Amino acid sequence: MRLKIKRFHYARDVEEALSLLSAYRGRGAILAGGLDLARSFNPKLEGLIDISGLGLSYVHEQDGGLRIGATTTLTEVLESRAAREYLGGFLAEVVGQVANPPLRNQATFGGAVASAHPWADLPTALVAVGAEVRWVDQEGEHRARVEELWQGEFRRLLSSAVITEIFLPPWEGAFAFGKLSRNVGDIALLNCACGLGIEDGKVAWARVALGATPRRGRRLLWLEDLLTGEAPGEELWQVVREQVEANVEVGADRRASAAWRRAAAGPLLARTLARAAEKATARQR
Amino acid sequence: MQEAMKIYFELNGEQRYVEIEPGESLLSLLRRLGMKSVKSGCETGDCGACTVLLNGRAVRSCTTFAAQVRGKRVTTLEGLGDVDDPHPLQEAFVEAGAVQCGFCTPGMILVAYELLSKNGAPTPQEVRAAISGNLCRCTGYVKIVDAVLLAAQWKREGKWR
Ligand SMILES: Cc1cc2nc3c(=O)[nH]c(=O)nc-3n(C[C@H](O)[C@H](O)[C@H](O)COP(=O)(O)OP(=O)(O)OC[C@H]3O[C@@H](n4cnc5c(N)ncnc54)[C@H](O)[C@@H]3O)c2cc1C
Ligand code: FES
Ligand code: FES
Repeated sequence: MRLKIKRFHYARDVEEALSLLSAYRGRGAILAGGLDLARSFNPKLEGLIDISGLGLSYVHEQDGGLRIGATTTLTEVLESRAAREYLGGFLAEVVGQVANPPLRNQATFGGAVASAHPWADLPTALVAVGAEVRWVDQEGEHRARVEELWQGEFRRLLSSAVITEIFLPPWEGAFAFGKLSRNVGDIALLNCACGLGIEDGKVAWARVALGATPRRGRRLLWLEDLLTGEAPGEELWQVVREQVEANVEVGADRRASAAWRRAAAGPLLARTLARAAEKATARQR
Repeated sequence: MQEAMKIYFELNGEQRYVEIEPGESLLSLLRRLGMKSVKSGCETGDCGACTVLLNGRAVRSCTTFAAQVRGKRVTTLEGLGDVDDPHPLQEAFVEAGAVQCGFCTPGMILVAYELLSKNGAPTPQEVRAAISGNLCRCTGYVKIVDAVLLAAQWKREGKWR
């Protein structure tokens, strides 16, 4: 552990957490599970504000959607019946592929949204389903879709805010998640989340996000357009493989080359779309 | 200047009141308190050698701040058993030949303990998933999976505590 902080606080409510944050003027941080903060090297940090006692650990079903409290651990998400049932098990499929059981015992859902690592799995899935983040700062309560939040200067914004809840909306179709990594539990070399609505044997709508490219998950709007109105099946998946290889924007990092990502993205997306189509068709029956 | 702070927590069934640095890791605190089963491998959350149970759930002590365990229950391998009075899981590891250098063993046993507390009849695949975050550089994992399955069988037969 590398942090030489001066003080550790146990916030009793959101207001106290916010006033402590503001008193530290950028030198304090919210602590949820602590997985990232314990590994960080921020020499500027002077105080940590533990929010585990704020009552923000819960999973509630609401009109087919899900409200997940910010300090809910990934294990608690997996143990919640509502979360396991959400979108036919899609969320459980994603969370079950995050790291390993002891890390999921510690990592929180809000922490994953706040840290939003580009290589992480949850951001890609949350972008695909259009999740909404709810947070509080000195000005009051706010909400935004994750992709809007992450497009802006969210780290600066969150340095004086507390995420309270993440809302995952209901969908009629089905979603599937795909991840390529060196071994089970390792972080992704590439990941994707694909949602399809099927009506009269055709794709009525598509939501496709690709992540760890090595950038954070974002939607491939051109691919969503390409899929809409088409009949799901091997012919369409072949077009997906070819078009993705030709058009996808990927880069290199120390884990994988851009050439590898370009070659791997098409098959990964085609495979995951095929699973989503199968689930969506089965759901209709 | 770091201000030292004091916390209460339960360690292996005993109430403790200890002074800690605000940024100190749980790993560092437990080693200071003589819990030598808690190993420092990577200190980045990757290897699992520093695993302990926090309120019955396996966590990395290197990525947990000591201050986070205030008012909570911490169990290290010392809390399960020792050489004179080993826990059935410890015996199963010896019986199955699942221990070589032993560096990963405390973490493996604690992760297995959490698994068996939730699932009395795990499949080999479920055991592999449970230990997937704990690295072993010696055994090749096969004997560790055997040991956990053996312990599960003993638990079902009532040889447990
Ligand atoms: C070894 C390792 C492997 C991993 N593997 C994967 C993986 O396979 N897939 C994947 O998707 N992710 C993976 N992760 C990422 C993991 O999901 C996140 O690190 C974790 O969710 C962070 O949550 P936390 O509660 O521990 O965060 P903390 O360390 O407590 O906080 C992280 C950051 O978010 C801020 N923050 C936390 N909560 C809030 C809040 N409510 N409001 C405002 N700010 C907040 C903190 O100030 C800090 O800056 C991995 C992480 C590690 C360390
Ligand atoms: S020392 Fe904690 S995970 Fe390796
Ligand atoms: S027995 Fe040596 S690391 Fe596992």
